[in-house]
This record gives sequence, C-alpha cells and structure tokens, in this order.
Amino acid sequence: MAVREDDDTSKRIPSPMSMKSLAAPVKSAVDKYQLLPEFLKVRGLVKQHLDSFNYFINCEIKKIIHAKDNERIVSDINPKIYLKFLDIYVESPSVEEDHIREPLIPQRCRLSDTTYAAPVKVDIEYTRGNPIQTEIKKGHVIANMPIMLRSCRCVLYGMDDDELARLGECPLDPGGYFIVKGTEKVLMIQEQLSKNRIIIDTDKKGRVSASVTSSTHERKSKTVIVMEKERIYLQLNQFTKLIPIMVIMKAMGMESDQEVVQMVGRDPRYSGLLLPSIQECASERIYTQYQALEFLEKKVVKSRFTNQKVSPMTILDDVFLANVPVHEGDFYPKCIYVGVMLRRMLEAILNADTIDDKDYVGNKRLELSGQLISLLFEDLFKTMSSAAKKSIDEALTKASRSSSMDISLHLRKDWITHGLERAISTGNWDVKRFKMNRKGMTQVVSRLSFIAALGHMTRIQPQFEKSRKVSGPRALQPSQWGMLCPCDTPEGEACGLVKNLALMTHVTTDEEESPLITLCYSLGVEDMSLLSTEELHSLNSYLVMFNGLILGKHRQPQRFANGMRKLRRAGKIGEFVSVFVNEKQRCVYLASDGGRVCRPLVIADKGVSRIKEHHMKELRDGARVFDDFLREGLIEYLDVNEENNALIALYEGEADSNTTHIEIEPFTILGVCAGLIPYPHHNQSPRNTYQCAMGKQAMGNIAYNQLCRMDTLLYLLVYPQRPLLTTKSIELVGYDKLGAGQNATVAVMSYSGYDIEDAIVMNKSSLDRGFGRCIVMKKVSAVKQAYDRIIMPQMSSGKGGLDSHMQILDTDGIASPGEIVRPHDILINKQSATVSRDQLISHKVLPDSAYKFTPVKHKGTEGETTVVDRVALFTDKDQNMVIKFIIRHTRRPEVGDKFSSRHGQKGVCGTIVQQEDLPFSERGICPDLIMNPHGFPSRMTIGKMIELLGGKAGVSCGRFHYGSAFGEPSGHADRVEVISETLVRHGFSYSGKDFLYSGISGCPLQAYIFMGPIYYQKLKHMVLDKMHARARGPRMMLTRQPTEGRSRDGGLRLGEMERDCLIAYGASMLIFERLMISSDPFQAQVCRKCGLLGYYHDKLKTGFCSTCKSGENVSTMKLPYACKLLFQELHAMNIVPRLQLTEH
Amino acid sequence: MEGISYQRFPKVKIREMKDDYLKFELRETDASMANALRRVMLAEVPTLAIDLVEIEVNSTVLNDEFIAHRLGLIPLTSDRAMSMRFSRDCDACDGDGQCEFCSVEFTLNVRCTSDHTLDVTSTDLRSSDPTICCPVDVAARATAALDPNSAYDPSEQRGIIIVKLRRGQELRLRAIARKGIGKDHAKWSPAATVTFMYEPEIHINEDLMETLTLEEKRSWVESSPTKVFEIDPNTQQVVVVDPEAYTYDDEVIKKAEAMGKPGLVDINAKEDSFIFTVESTGAIKASQLVINAIEILRQKLDAVRLSLDTEECDEQFGELGAHLRGSAV
Repeated sequence: MAVREDDDTSKRIPSPMSMKSLAAPVKSAVDKYQLLPEFLKVRGLVKQHLDSFNYFINCEIKKIIHAKDNERIVSDINPKIYLKFLDIYVESPSVEEDHIREPLIPQRCRLSDTTYAAPVKVDIEYTRGNPIQTEIKKGHVIANMPIMLRSCRCVLYGMDDDELARLGECPLDPGGYFIVKGTEKVLMIQEQLSKNRIIIDTDKKGRVSASVTSSTHERKSKTVIVMEKERIYLQLNQFTKLIPIMVIMKAMGMESDQEVVQMVGRDPRYSGLLLPSIQECASERIYTQYQALEFLEKKVVKSRFTNQKVSPMTILDDVFLANVPVHEGDFYPKCIYVGVMLRRMLEAILNADTIDDKDYVGNKRLELSGQLISLLFEDLFKTMSSAAKKSIDEALTKASRSSSMDISLHLRKDWITHGLERAISTGNWDVKRFKMNRKGMTQVVSRLSFIAALGHMTRIQPQFEKSRKVSGPRALQPSQWGMLCPCDTPEGEACGLVKNLALMTHVTTDEEESPLITLCYSLGVEDMSLLSTEELHSLNSYLVMFNGLILGKHRQPQRFANGMRKLRRAGKIGEFVSVFVNEKQRCVYLASDGGRVCRPLVIADKGVSRIKEHHMKELRDGARVFDDFLREGLIEYLDVNEENNALIALYEGEADSNTTHIEIEPFTILGVCAGLIPYPHHNQSPRNTYQCAMGKQAMGNIAYNQLCRMDTLLYLLVYPQRPLLTTKSIELVGYDKLGAGQNATVAVMSYSGYDIEDAIVMNKSSLDRGFGRCIVMKKVSAVKQAYDRIIMPQMSSGKGGLDSHMQILDTDGIASPGEIVRPHDILINKQSATVSRDQLISHKVLPDSAYKFTPVKHKGTEGETTVVDRVALFTDKDQNMVIKFIIRHTRRPEVGDKFSSRHGQKGVCGTIVQQEDLPFSERGICPDLIMNPHGFPSRMTIGKMIELLGGKAGVSCGRFHYGSAFGEPSGHADRVEVISETLVRHGFSYSGKDFLYSGISGCPLQAYIFMGPIYYQKLKHMVLDKMHARARGPRMMLTRQPTEGRSRDGGLRLGEMERDCLIAYGASMLIFERLMISSDPFQAQVCRKCGLLGYYHDKLKTGFCSTCKSGENVSTMKLPYACKLLFQELHAMNIVPRLQLTEH
Repeated sequence: MEGISYQRFPKVKIREMKDDYLKFELRETDASMANALRRVMLAEVPTLAIDLVEIEVNSTVLNDEFIAHRLGLIPLTSDRAMSMRFSRDCDACDGDGQCEFCSVEFTLNVRCTSDHTLDVTSTDLRSSDPTICCPVDVAARATAALDPNSAYDPSEQRGIIIVKLRRGQELRLRAIARKGIGKDHAKWSPAATVTFMYEPEIHINEDLMETLTLEEKRSWVESSPTKVFEIDPNTQQVVVVDPEAYTYDDEVIKKAEAMGKPGLVDINAKEDSFIFTVESTGAIKASQLVINAIEILRQKLDAVRLSLDTEECDEQFGELGAHLRGSAV
C-alpha cells in the first residue's frame, strides 16, 4: 500500500480536519452564471465544429503533406525526377472573375448556387528541364477546398455584427457548416468507440474478448483476443483462423512461457487460466520463434489483389496492434501490450464487473468535421499524387520530349476539389484505403426555425445500425451528465442513438504527443522497455497509459496525477489533457487525443471554490475574460474519465471538504433545444423530449437575413414574440431575438366540445389581429438553356387582350414581384428550340416556327392566392441564366392547424369562436385560446402550469420571469410562492385562477378558470398543405387505375382491410362499385369457346376471337383493366388463363 | 289575449364618463339583457376600417399583405358609421371609395430620404374627407388643437406605426375604408373592452366579527387579494370600503372557515344589477358606443317583432312563435 501514501493526507486524519473547517473562510455562494455568456463568447455554440476544422486547416493538413509517404512524388522511370511538397496552406475563400481575384462572400454562394471554397496552395520543390535542375515554386494551387463558415479561414471570422450585416449575414447564425453548390451542409458529429484502447467485452456467444481498434495514419485494423473453450486465441482478419495467443507471443520472440505467465501476473488464479493455452501451444510442438512463424505462414490469408501471401512477420509488425510502434524489430512493447490485454481479459473472467461498458461516454470518441475532412483530403491527396506520378511517367516514356518537363503541371487540382465537393454534397465518405464507405455524413441544415438550425449543429449521429433492438446503447447513461443533453433525442427508431451536445460541452482536438510523453518520463514514469515482465503487474506501482499506449510504471500515481494536473492548471500543458487514475485497474490514463467530450468546471480546494466574488466582479467589469479563468487555474476542463476522479458539488453551498470541483450552472446539462423549455425540471421527462422535437418544427424567425435568403421552403411568423417566461439558455442562444411563437392568453377549461383529444379552441378576433398568422415562401427556379429564349407576353388570338395566364408577366417575359399568382399562371414565358444543336449553330437567327412553347407555370392549389415575392437572376457554372422566384403566401390559422406549447403538448385547432362567445373576466380579459384541462393529468406537465402563473405575473408587473432548469436555488427560476405574491399584489388570485362569465349567457361560470399567458408555437403542419379529396382525376397509364398521393391528385385507396370489412358485412355491390366501377372498368371481348380475350372487330361490328378466328362465340364482359393486364402479362410468360363464362 | 307582461324598465346610472371610457350601472334587469348589450357592443356596432388596399410602390421590409393587415387594424373615427351604408348594400357604387355613402378613400405616400429611420405612422394617411373619417390619433390631435385647455400633449403621441423606412425605401398606396361590424373582422370592432360584473352585496356578521382579535381581523382583511375590506383605524371595526373590488374569489370566505368562523361574511351577487366597463378604441365615443348598441339591439328586436307575424316565423319557431306573440297555446 505504498501508493496510498501519496493521497491527500487530510483525508486520513479526521479530527484536525474538523478544526480546520472551522477556521476555513466562510463560503459565500458566488453567482457564476456570468461565466456562461463569457464561455459562449469565446467558445460559441458550435465551437466543436470550428475548432476541429481550424485544427485541420492549421495543423493536420501540414502533417498530411509531411507524412513519409506523401511528401515526395518520385518518378519510377527516372528517380532523379521528383517533386517535394515543402509547405501547404489554405487561403481564405476567393473567386476569380475576369482574372481578378476577389473575396467570396457566403451569402453570394447561397444565392448563386456556388461552393464557398478557398484555394489550397503548396510550396513545392521540383525538378525540371533537361539537364535536370531543381526549382522551388511557391503558391501552387492544388485544390479548392470548401470552407466552414466562421472558421479561421472564413471571411466572416472575427467580424462584428455590423460588418456581418453588411455582408448579408445574420449575426446570430453560428456557422459551423459548409456551403456547397448553394446548399448549406453540416457534417454531422459521428459517435464512435474509442480508437487505440483496450475494450473488454463479451461477444454474441458469451465469450470474453479484448479488442483494440487500432488507427494510425497508415493503417486501421482491429485486433481481438478471445477466450474460447478455456483457451485464448487471437482473431485478426489477415489470418484464416483463430491463432493461439501463445503462438503469437512466440512469433514475437517471447519464447519463454514463464515470461508470459509473469506478464499476466503470478497470482495462481491468472496463471491457471492461462494453462490450457500454453498446453495447446506445446501440443502443436511450437517452442521457438521460427516454429511459430512457420505455423503462422500457413494461416495467412492471400491478398485479394496480388494473390500473394504476406509474411507473418510483416503482419505482426504492421497489422497486429498497429497502434503500438515497433522500432527496429523490437516486439517487446507489443508483447507487453498483449500481456496487459490478457491480464484485463482474465480479470474480466474472474470478475464480471471489470468488463468495460461500451456505452460509457468515456469510451466514446466524437468524430468531427476536421477529422472527417482530413481523412478524405489525405485520400484524395494520395490519389492526386499517384495520378501525377502516372502522368509524369507517361510523359517520360514518350520518345519525343520537345518541351521541357514541368512536374508541377501534372498536379491536377480537380481531383481534390471535386472529391471534397462531391463528398460533402452527397454525404458519401468513400476512403478505399481504409475500406471506409459511409453514407449520410452530411445533411442539409434545417432552416425551419433558428433553433432547428442550431440543434442541427449539435446533433451526434451514431455509427451503429439503427435496427438493432437493444436497449443498452439507447438508454440514458449516467456518464452523459453535463456532456450530452438528457432530453434531446428523437422518438422512434433512432431514439437514444441520436444525441445532442449539452450547452457547455467541448470536443477536444488532437494534441502533440511527444512533449507530453517526455514530460511523463521526467515526472518519474519508469520506461516499460527497461522493466522486466515480472514488474508489469507489481503491486507497488501503477501502469501509465498514454493515449492507449503503455508508457511505463509509476510508483506514486496520485502524486504523478496531481503533478500533471498542476501543470495543466498552470497552462504548461494543453488544457484538454486528461489525467485519470483508475484504482481498480491500477492504471493512470493520460489522454490528449481528439474527440473526447469535456466540459469546464470550477476548481475547489477542499470544497472552497477558487472563484471569488472579486473575480466575478472583474468579469462583469470586463477586466477578465473566460480564458483568464482558465489560465489562472480557477476553471478547468474535465473529460468523462477524469470526472471519475472528481467530486463535483452542484452548488457551492453543498460542497464539503472532499469536493474537488463545483458546477458552473446546473442548467448547462441540457442542450440548446431543451434549454427553451421553462421549468423543465417540473415536467414529466418524455414531455421535454417531445418538445425538443417540436421546437424544431415551430415557425418563427430563421435569421436576420431571412428575407434575403432563397430557401426552397421558408415558414415565417408574421408577429413573432419573445417568450414572457424565458430561461437563461434562451438569452444565451438568442431565442429571445429570433423567437418562434407567441404569448397567448390561455384559459384551461372545457368549451364547446370541439376541444376533445387535445384540440384547442381559438378566438376569432385574436386571429383577425394577427395571432398565428404566418408566411410561407416557396422557391421556384428554372434554367434558361442556351437554346431557350424568353419573350414578351403575346396577345391571345382573337380577343386582343393578354392571355389570362400571362397577366402577371413583365415586358421581359418574367413575372414581376408583387403580382398575385393564381394556379397555372405563367411565371416565365419561355420557348425552346425544336431543332437540333447543329442547326442552332448554323443558323444565327431561328424563325419563330423553330420554337415551341415551354413556359414555367405556377403549380398551386385552387383558391390559394399567392404573391411573387422576389425574382432573382444569376448565371450558373455552365453560363446559363437561372431564374429563381420566391412565391409568398400569407396564411391565417384555420381549423386543423397544429399548435403546441413548450411542454410537448401539441394540439390542432378544433374550432374558431367569435370573441363575444368566449368567456370574459370582469377586467375584460378574454382568452386567445382555450385548452382542455384533460391535457394535464396524464401528461403531468407542471412546468406548463408554472409557466402560466409566471407569465401572468410577468404581464402584470412588467418584468420577464425566468424558468431556467433547476434554477430555483440559484435564482434563475422564479419560485411559485414569489409568483403568487406578485399575482396577489396585482389583484389576481394567488392560484392563477380567474372568475369568468360565460360569453354566451352572461352568467358566471361554475368554476374558477386557470387563465394566463403561455408561449405557443405554430408548427409547420398545416391543413392547407395536407387536405386532399378527389372525385375524378388522373389515372395511371399502365393500369388505368387512379394515381396515388396528394401531389398527383390521387384517389383514396380502399385497402385490403377496408375491403375485408365490406366482405364481412356483405356489401358486395359496394365492393364491386369501389373496386371496379370507380377504379378501372374495362369492356373485354371474351371467347366462350377458348376462354381467351378477343377484340372488337370494327368491320364486323362484333367481338372477334383471334385464336378461334371467329366472332361467333364472343361475349362482351366487364372486368377491371388491371385484371385484363394481368392476363396479358401471363400470356407473355406462356401461362394461359382461360375465362369460363356462364349465363347470368 | 295578452299574457302577463315581463316588461321591465332597466335603469342606467353613469358613474364615470370620458371620451374612450365609460363606467355605468345597469339595474333592474337580468343577465340576458346585460350580455346582449355587451355582445352587440363588441361585435355589431358598425365602424369604418380600411378594407381594400391598392399598393403602388412598396419597397419596405414588410410585404404587401403585412402592410394591408396593419392598415386595417388602425382605428378610424366612425361617428357617421351608423348612418352610412354597407358597401354590399350600396347601390350607387361597389364600394370603390368614390361614393360618400359607403366608403372613404385614403392615400399614403412616404419616401425616406434621410439616413435616419423614418416611421410611417397613421398621421401619414391622407383621408379624402377628414371630417368623416380619419385615424383616431389624427382626430385627437385636431380636436386638441381647437381646445387650448386640453391635456393632450402632441409630443407624446407619435401616431400608430405602420412600417419603418430606411433611406431610399418608399411606400405608396391607396386604401379604402368601408363600414363593417366586428363580427366580420375584429378591425371593425369599436370596443377595446366591454365587460360587466354583478354587483356584490357584502354583509359582515358584526357580532361574529367582534369575537375576533385585531390581529385576526387584520389577517382576515389581508386574505383578500383585492382591497375590499379595511379596518377602521378609529373603531377598529372591519368595514367594507370597496365592494366592487371584490372579484368573487371566495378567499375571505375560505379564510373565515379556516379561522373557524364560518358565516363571518355573507357575499351575494345581485342578480339584477350590473356594473359595466366600456372602453372604446376611439373609433366612436364610449358613450356613443353604448347608445349605438342599444339602437342596434332595438333594430334587431324590431326585426324579430316584424317577422313574428309572418308565415316564415311560424315555420321557423312553430309553437314558440305563438308563445312569443303572447297568445295562449
């Protein structure tokens, strides 16, 4: 127990401690809320994306270039001819127009369907000419790389609100996405199991296994050690079968069984478990390294391409545990690694508790845009290099080399440009080198509402398939606390798999390893390679693991960890380096790799917060920023693993002497979407989850530049409001500036019966005054091809006026803004040439007859009056003119439109009632909306009730009330008692109930009515977009049956189940009518003799059977056309269906 | 044969009267009467409001429908609305603004030429006949100008904002105001608030009250969210200071029960006495609003009475018609 000695000595001596606590400074709760806005100022809401991308642009890309395999392109034919990359840098986005380069602005890319991309330049050293001489060329463009908005290369980087506004950008927009071909694309955060870490798990067959997914720049591989029938085997794709682990050990040069046993530990329980494996190896008569390699030789899988076997030594070197480096054939580190794996595995067999939890957040890594793009970039870079090499070789083989050879010209920039653009726009990530083939990596940013777009940036996609019906990965993990939002997850198949980041979460990027490793050694880590196997599990020291690699051992792990932490707090090493002492595994884990989730916490010394009131005052005065807190060691980032070594108090007052950290604000455990809910801690949990999904469908404002955008579909609210009951998250996120809802006075009562099943009753006068009014904007775009022309509206023949559908056209043949459009109105009076391309070239001017009319018409439902809002013209990359129209439609709520409060309580408008019929109070207050009280008991949304109370108090006293999650102790949520007092002060009942009179009779209502303002969202689901009915209409060509679906004006299907009902009921005539008369009736000529279908002979005026060559026995009958079609198709397959007719 | 007459003679007592505010008592009638009056004031007293907008130039940030909707909601002085015609009934025209009987034309022509944001307000609306109809705030300013004693301060009144303009933006339109009623659209409703309450009758059981200590009395008095009761500083007796402040919240009764003194106070609503509060949007004076409402209510009753003798009435109401006529069934 030498290790324990270094622990905090205070822990062990309780009596002086109590004296100390008396002498300790008085704890006063410091309001640390102010740190949050500061945090978000420096980190932002999508900082994880930006950091990751910035890291790629600034560091990773240079590493790729300087990697051993990538740095040079050398010709195979003449090795003297080469090209060497000296440096690479990404510039800021620009566009070349008429040989002038000017900065590219994101808004312009959105409008003109181009890619927001920046040139990637390299400095190269290369040979040229004959005789060969080396030259250096700087600033050679090798690619145009899409740039993430607000990243360090973006033109918007570091701009203030005014400058952003000047560029047509919304200051509240977080960035973090790309613009590719005019569409905004987010690279979704990918969730994965940790790379390069030992994971002990049980597989499907219940076998205990230790697996490592190795990932280095050169190679990705998976090594599994598995216990089967008491024996331990290695499973590797390069070997055909399971290989006994002892054979591997011997092949790596560890010929002595004793050493292996020592590595696992001399405890007889462990060595006993190892015995069958040793025996098996012995029974195979493998004792030496040579024998082992010989044995392995037979098991190697042939390569698919070359059909040759790789030597087992290379496999052991390169593939097997690829993350453990082998220097000059020294396999000792790998042996040690296997030893640790075996030990952990055997431990798991003896004690099932030590099996790793795959769902534990500490075992997960988040892959962000930077990593993903770097993966793709490296692959494309290699392809480009090899293509360049190929073309150089080709050029060299050509006999005549008149012109001097310039290698730099062989670097084609389209490879990377197109590759990146294609991957981001389709979302397909194909990296052949790593056999990676992932789909759906990018998504179009959802611009339904501001919150939807923000929520999209923080979403995390899982890597596993969704269909698996396992509950483990879907369940809420305790380790998610503070890192991932516990509420925000979709319902249905992706439930629990798709997650969202919490408000303060940060995702790390890679950090330089070598200085940290050196530091570890100088802090007293004993190098493993200097230790014997015996010492691997010696009791007096802890193993030190650095990013999954075994560094060595340390005799005073706690002291070592404390030392590292001190250095981190002092800013000597990166703030995101995590130090975690795992006492169970007797290991110290150090991590500096990218993709770990972490969050800031206030450091406390023996329960006393390091942040004092004067710090906060300096912060408020602007003399201090968030980074100062970090630098001075007041705040630090902890990742999920290190959190296990911390005791975190929720509030300062709750801290005791063992507390090491204090939370900044408890509501930061929620994400962006859940942050909108007032009093979420008073609601039933699923309600908050529902609201997280619905908040994304609410209409409101999208961005400050919403009216300058050209989205395919845009829903806006005419009079959006700021919620009366806000939360701190709302203010931090900016929802108070871009709200999506209105404060409605809600009466919770039963009214008229049109409010059952969550339907709501609305006040007609409120609707008249603009409640719930929304604007729907749709985009129509058309391309004018080279052989098209757009002409003035023509006079219609005969009448002399304009054609009725051409009235909105301007003289240039394009509909003008502000005109009212009706269905089938012409938007562009376009004509296309009917002649071929050759003629087009030969004839300069074509006659009018060579054109046919191909107008762009407005498709809309009858009776809907829409307006042309904007018309935009631009030239696309093929130099064609593109015309975009924004068609606007203003809608007032109608029966069937969907509304929802912020508590997962959605409902449709059941009826609209005149104001005079609605109940009123003696103050003259009349509800905008009536909600049925039955919505409450089963939903248990107490938060909604408190919102009503708080809102009512808010309007009466003129102060916005707060309802932040868990905010009551810290004063970020108003308490019901205080709200009630405010209500009473303004003459309302403390309970929020009012005495109402019936608007119909004028008599008082039987009960007091709970009435007050609640923030209501209008959801995008509106009847107008959904209602559909048809009597007659279009039919399908092939079957002559009615078409399907609303968009095609389809029929309503009488399906199998409906048919079954009718059969059971015996309504045969109705079935007949539905399935044939109203669907696809057909008159067929049927031959009574042969039973085949005939045809109607026009000359004979009778039916005629072509098989019997006579018209005598032909009868006419009705049958569904689809039936006739079936017969004919069967005929074609050489099956003869015959109809047998009887008299009826 | 005449039946028993239910005819009553309600009394009205005006308590407070301002241009846009009226508080009066309506006594000796029942809730149906009071409520009918309230409903008519809200929904059936006609006013003028902008109903048709022709936009010539609109380069503002708000779209055409948006501006049209905002224009519609501006209250216009409608003193003559009662005598005007609905444009659908007007034979002389189709409500195109040319006809003085049914419509009034407005024009708006604003362009911002300065660097400051320009507010387009109701004062920019030019009426074809300001004497008949203009935005209420314009009218208020005009009357204030005539009356030197009025408390109206024009600097405080900036008009009703329609839209804000930046440099170079322009709004030019023609709007037609027509007569209408609140039932069709809330913009035609002349009433901001029309509400009534039953007059409460409060009897304090003085004997029981005397059994309370001063402390108890105080806590009982404070249990009411509104200031209905007070303790007389001289006599230390609980007195009713403002019965109408009582909101029928039952708090005092509950409190009395909780104190173990049920029946400490007896509160009843007078079934036949109502206190009305009427606030007008300014389109017509509050007092005129009530008078117009009564007039319209009378017209409606006349219409019923006229139709009582007709054949359709019998079809419609059957026996009820006969009952209405007062004849024995």
